[in-house]
Amino acid sequence: MFSRRFLISLPIFALVYIAQESLVVQMRLPAGGFSLIVIFTLIWASMSTPEIGALTGFGAGLLMDLSQTSPGPLGHWTLVMILASYVISFLSYGDDHVRANPLNIVFLVVAGVTLSQIFFALLSLLLGEQLGSFQNVLFISAGTAFWSAIVTPLVLPFVSRLHAAVFGTVSRI
Amino acid sequence: MRYGGDNRGRLLLIVLIVTSLFLITLDLRGVAVVDGIRNTTQSALTPFQKAGSWVVSPVRDFLSDVTHLGRTRNQIEKLKSENDALRSRLQERKNADAQLEQLKGVLDLAGKAQYKIVSARVISQGSSISFAQTITIDAGTSSGIRPNMTVISGFGLVGVVKVAYPNSALIQLASDPSFKVGARIAGSQQIGILSGEGTRKAVLQLLDNSLSVKEGDVILARGSTNGRPFVPGVPIGEVTKVDNSASAVTQTADVKYFVNFSTLGVVSVVIAMTEEDPRDALVPVKPVATPLPTVTITVTPTPTPSSKG
Repeated sequence: MFSRRFLISLPIFALVYIAQESLVVQMRLPAGGFSLIVIFTLIWASMSTPEIGALTGFGAGLLMDLSQTSPGPLGHWTLVMILASYVISFLSYGDDHVRANPLNIVFLVVAGVTLSQIFFALLSLLLGEQLGSFQNVLFISAGTAFWSAIVTPLVLPFVSRLHAAVFGTVSRI
Repeated sequence: MRYGGDNRGRLLLIVLIVTSLFLITLDLRGVAVVDGIRNTTQSALTPFQKAGSWVVSPVRDFLSDVTHLGRTRNQIEKLKSENDALRSRLQERKNADAQLEQLKGVLDLAGKAQYKIVSARVISQGSSISFAQTITIDAGTSSGIRPNMTVISGFGLVGVVKVAYPNSALIQLASDPSFKVGARIAGSQQIGILSGEGTRKAVLQLLDNSLSVKEGDVILARGSTNGRPFVPGVPIGEVTKVDNSASAVTQTADVKYFVNFSTLGVVSVVIAMTEEDPRDALVPVKPVATPLPTVTITVTPTPTPSSKG
């Protein structure tokens, strides 16, 4: 049952990845824009168990690493997304105070996106990659948080329904 | 109730983290399989990116208009007066004209320097979430494009080909934080290293501290052996600020790129160059101010009647 659900999730994430790489990045939004796959993954993780969350983060991170526009080595985003998705699902799973209120999930996801980006930057520094000036990193992180705060509430109902359809959960947001 | 986790969950987490660290190690050691996977992914994504570019371009142009509202206000007012069909046609024409203008600019520049170029449309821009600055173009190895070739636009240096696929290529923009190019100042021929900063601004580090640089100096690419990765003489930008602190080991200056990286539509890849270095021939000509006609008024007082008496 677990494998079947996980396999059903794969094409969904592949579609989101294609949408990110072929549509979202074309918009050239100011201040860094947003990453649909990161937002989608973190929302998905917030509704899953920590094990599913970690696996989801692994799959999504691997897809992000396969993008040629990802400057780091393969596994860079994978590591970041495993930890981010695990932490988000750990914080939200089983806690009705968090899951019952969509605003809490939005807050968790936006904070997750921002912290993931900061963790990605720190890991990049450890791996000896160039990130530009500190102001630029701050500007892009703040911009991504801003765009994520706008996009997350818009996609949350859709992801919630999709997650419920795949995992057969009754409660929806 | 908060989820407490169990041993199986923790074990899975550890296995996944170890796997990702293993992948990082493999990639950093240059295992060919990893590059192969990425190349296959990019080849598979290219048709989607081309379709996405076609679908999103009207939305992107709209967003660009909103961003540059002050500059396009008159144009927007003009468009408002036209009907929907005409507006749609005008939008399509606007796209084509902008691309034609960019193509004309780059052909002029390449013609002056006698570069052999391949022009291509920008089909995708890399996500900034990874702090990298890249674009993807719709021409690749089938058009003669290879890694480490210079990419230019009508205004000057755009970047360098990072990876070339059969029908597309990934370009590292000059604004990328890891981008570095040997540069020289037009006229004085001082040389230095120019580094991207993630924005339209770059930092020039001069190699000789005894020489001076001033605001307004034009920076050109110094060129590499056989013109790869950089052909010589391509305009890069203009010095906007000079750091003259006495304690600095080397003199540095802020440089503003001539190219606006957010509006790139058509770019060209230099696939061959002549033996001759164009030197300063490509330095952009500064606009000459038209002298305003001056009118001199001389006031001559007329004698009042009272002064006669």
